[in-house]
Amino acid sequence: MTGSSVGIADAAMTGVPAPGAPRAEAAWRRRDRRWGYVFVAPQMIGMGVFVLVPFIAALVLAFAQWDGLTPLSWVGFDNFKTELTDPLFGRALVNTMLIAVVTVPIGLGLAVIVAVALERLKTRTLYLALFFAPVITSSIAVAMIWQQLFRTDGIISRTIAAAFHVPAPDWLADPHLALIAVCIVTIWSSLGLNVVIFLAGLQNISPSVIEAARIDGAGAVALFFRIRLPLLSPVIFFSSIIAFISSLQTFDIVFVLVANAGPDNATRTIVYHIYDLGFGKTQFGVASAASILLLILTLVITAIQFGFQKRFVHYEEGAA
Amino acid sequence: MLRSRKVLTIATTVTAVTALSLGLGACSGGGGNGGSDGQQTVVWSTWGTPQELTRYKEFDAQFMKDHPNIKVVLQPVADYGDYHTKLLTELASGTAPDVFYIGDDQIGKFVNSNVLMPLNELMSSKDSKTKPDDFAQGLLGAAEKDDKILAEPNDSNPDALWYDKVALKKAGITEDPATLASEGKWTTQKYLEMNDKLHAAGLTGSMFWNYWSTHWSWISSQGGKAFDDNGDFVANTDPTSVAAMDTFGKYFQDKTFVVADTLPSGAGADSVFVTHKAGFFIQGRYTIGTVKSAGDPQNYDVAPWPTPDGKAAPTGVAVSYLAINDKTKVKDAAFTFWTNFLSKDGQTFRLKGSGNAVPSIKGADSVVLDGYPDHAQTLLDMRDLGFEDYATEAQVPGLSTDVSDIMLKLYQGKLTGQQALDQSAQLISSKTSGK
Repeated sequence: MTGSSVGIADAAMTGVPAPGAPRAEAAWRRRDRRWGYVFVAPQMIGMGVFVLVPFIAALVLAFAQWDGLTPLSWVGFDNFKTELTDPLFGRALVNTMLIAVVTVPIGLGLAVIVAVALERLKTRTLYLALFFAPVITSSIAVAMIWQQLFRTDGIISRTIAAAFHVPAPDWLADPHLALIAVCIVTIWSSLGLNVVIFLAGLQNISPSVIEAARIDGAGAVALFFRIRLPLLSPVIFFSSIIAFISSLQTFDIVFVLVANAGPDNATRTIVYHIYDLGFGKTQFGVASAASILLLILTLVITAIQFGFQKRFVHYEEGAA
Repeated sequence: MLRSRKVLTIATTVTAVTALSLGLGACSGGGGNGGSDGQQTVVWSTWGTPQELTRYKEFDAQFMKDHPNIKVVLQPVADYGDYHTKLLTELASGTAPDVFYIGDDQIGKFVNSNVLMPLNELMSSKDSKTKPDDFAQGLLGAAEKDDKILAEPNDSNPDALWYDKVALKKAGITEDPATLASEGKWTTQKYLEMNDKLHAAGLTGSMFWNYWSTHWSWISSQGGKAFDDNGDFVANTDPTSVAAMDTFGKYFQDKTFVVADTLPSGAGADSVFVTHKAGFFIQGRYTIGTVKSAGDPQNYDVAPWPTPDGKAAPTGVAVSYLAINDKTKVKDAAFTFWTNFLSKDGQTFRLKGSGNAVPSIKGADSVVLDGYPDHAQTLLDMRDLGFEDYATEAQVPGLSTDVSDIMLKLYQGKLTGQQALDQSAQLISSKTSGK
């Protein structure tokens, strides 16, 4: 009898596994794990049906010509070539990047200012509720409300006309103003979420760090720019990634606010362009190729943001 | 242990079924079926305003009264812009209605995809209330392919020149366009003179919607040719068409003509027209609803498009089509509904009482001649003489819109008539090559 077999025999008698032997999983742990699967099943099924399957379908369709009704035919990279040389795709790309470049910094900047202002307010909850209302309101409803506000006889245009003695601007019919209108709605509707996130971030900053800075003679401005803002940078970084991705996917606001991404395609975004190609022109292959290009663009921009992380994001020691 | 396993199995099954049914439930819908009691259900789909949908429901109720063995279910989509997207998705997933409307700018796509039931045989059968020859032949457009009729027009809307007598009077115009037309004196020169006077009086001359009927009607009425008999685009090589579009463009550029689509929100074409700020508004019979709701319909009448010599010329007639799903499980019931809906009686029922369109079938014209407007006969004449969107354009989804985008640049002064037509020719050629 070898040493090891003795060990195993001992283990069998004592109920303690020998060193190196595989441990039998406890029954309660197995049961727990199974229940875990049950509870995550709805999410996993949802992800599979609504994310994974469409993603694979888009990947396949990007290399095919298909109108949704007749049999598809394979066209290799033609759809990508078509899109990359399509002036409308270029226009959509420029508009989308403009929306992102305008709304992300302004939106996040405003959110930081509001969060700082609310931090010491006793009636903070009330204001938070007010700022957060647009976030939980359907984007369709938000766009419809703003559509009324942007009318030539709406309050915004009439106020501008009265204040500056100019003709009332028709925001949604003027190619120069329509995209600005989209940016305004986007900033307004996302402000509340960023304020809540930043407020949580500000309250997470260790009081001892603030106290130490005060003892060292830091004033309110220095305290904000040298202590609080740098310590808030991880939260700002997270929000900027989310906001950038979200602005690259701008669709619903444009879809409701202006007709046909008008005027003259001034508000055509990439996602609207994809929708128009697929459901307007029934070119599902080209639309899928455009959506793959959007995925690549999103990944590249996110990678660039992560590249900047090292330079601009500061973590409180011991916090990471 | 066993009990726990049972619970686990049940929970897993319920979860999976719930998730799938929630997910797939959103895609449910689709055509009808034979019921266990022998009653067949026909599902049909259309877009429309609440008033139009109410009229359709009334038709359904009457139809079911007359055909107790058929149950009709209407699946409405409020917005025309969303309608075809939904229909396409339903057709692709095999859940489309049995009978459905199709817009004239979309019909070619559906015809080419072999999803519509050929109707020639059914229309010629003894049960048919709609023989092929009963319809206004100019309205079939792209709904016919290789001698197969795949849809028929529900009704029609000749794009006519509705005019405001009050606005004309304000501009010092004493002649009546409809009277001039009936005398054969409704010339392009007369029409443009009236518009000049309206513009000089600070009023809008004419308001046009930017779509196929506007540009092709203008070319056709001025003696030009947009497409030849082979379906090839020829307007850019036809001097008459180029000159016509140059003139047309100039009138938009100096704001005498206005693109109705671009009017400011809150001050749209309808409100401009009913407040007597525009002379002419070019659209369909549904204008009756607009002017009647404004309270002084007696101040409005209708005229055809002007021509160089005053003789009527073919102009655009907007239609929508009714088709039967080739995969319907209730073919006979679907056709019964289809033929009743489009029949003389069906169209009369739907269009009576200042309805929103002109019948597309013989024998129902009396609904238009109910006393309003004074020259309602003009609408019938325009329908009989008019044309549907050219098949070449209608067969490519989105092409009609893209051409309109080019025309908009002409109206904005960014292109000349020749450039706009050249760009249109290039676009049409690139989109239709190989088709």
